Amino acid sequence: MKQIMRIGKFRLSVMAFLILLVAPSYAATPEFEIEILNHLFLPDTLTIPAGVKVKLVIYNRDATPEEFESYELNREKVILGGRKAIVFIGPLAPGEYPFFGEFNPQTALGTILVVAEADAAK
Amino acid sequence: MLLNSVVIILREVLEAALLMSVFLASARFLQTRNRWAISALVAGAIGAATYGFFLEPVSDLFDGVGQEVCNAILQYGAFTLLAAVAFQIPRRSNNLESSPTIIVALMALTVMLAITREGAEILVYVSGFWNASDFFSAVALGSIIGACIGFSVGVLIYYLLLAQPIMWALPTSVLLIHLIAAGMASQATRLLIQADWISAAGPIWDTSSILSEQSLTGQLLYALVGYEASPSGIEVFAYVGSVLVVATAFVAGKFSSQPARDEME
Repeated sequence: MKQIMRIGKFRLSVMAFLILLVAPSYAATPEFEIEILNHLFLPDTLTIPAGVKVKLVIYNRDATPEEFESYELNREKVILGGRKAIVFIGPLAPGEYPFFGEFNPQTALGTILVVAEADAAK
Repeated sequence: MLLNSVVIILREVLEAALLMSVFLASARFLQTRNRWAISALVAGAIGAATYGFFLEPVSDLFDGVGQEVCNAILQYGAFTLLAAVAFQIPRRSNNLESSPTIIVALMALTVMLAITREGAEILVYVSGFWNASDFFSAVALGSIIGACIGFSVGVLIYYLLLAQPIMWALPTSVLLIHLIAAGMASQATRLLIQADWISAAGPIWDTSSILSEQSLTGQLLYALVGYEASPSGIEVFAYVGSVLVVATAFVAGKFSSQPARDEME
């Protein structure tokens, strides 16, 4: 009986460990929206919290395709005209992370501003 | 507009051009005819047109991350084929009498997958300007220039590989195959992180101040060996793991076909 209990405990701790491993991806991921209009990003500066994964929803309001790209964020994604795209970023350290539209790099420019939780509250 | 097009097309063409030049050089060292390259180009173009045409429904798959998943599958597929090429190279070089069909087919398929992914992006880009007549000629010209530069870099790498002393020529190509394969696997892994199919922590180092990914050298190294200035741990793990997988495939290929001269000794 005692042994069974012990196995149960072991299994429980394995399960708890696995849940902990998976947990971050199931925690509510904050969502932020960006629009592409006339080859510009709106807003062109987006403030997000540090240390958490964030879901970016990017709406391309133009008829032409655009590629959301950032060397600093290591992200790259084609968004067809009139469509939306989802890009996950982070967890990131506080700082500035520029991004651009590769198909219109002169105008489509933006920055992700990552701030620590305490600074964001101010 | 012209310069943008040059840069965009060059970036896309570069990867496939480098892959092709390394394969073409390897095929020469293995005394294989290079007719496969034409079929690979044609098949790749068809693949790119198909993928480009269906990009919209593909993008909507898996809650909007279909593009990442599809590109990752193409990249992991190319990686697997590269590992198979690494397995076949020593078998072929140990016995040049053997039929080259398998290795030629593997190379052609790898190039086809690379062109499918990158060609689709080029098509989407260029087609976006199809109706904008004021820009289209600039975009078309820029694209042609970009493609030509990419092609020239490929030709340059090809002749650099051929110009090496015979002792080094094939090993250098094999080493490049390792690095190209690892670059593809880590890129695919990064796409799955972007799609949130894999959870990753922040970058474990940042070398962007030493060598920016935006610089010419950075771009070239990105295309050739998958250079990434601020990778996450899991990308580095995928890269190192992939080099080991390809190396294992190469060693296995070597031992599965002992050269005739060893048997003599």
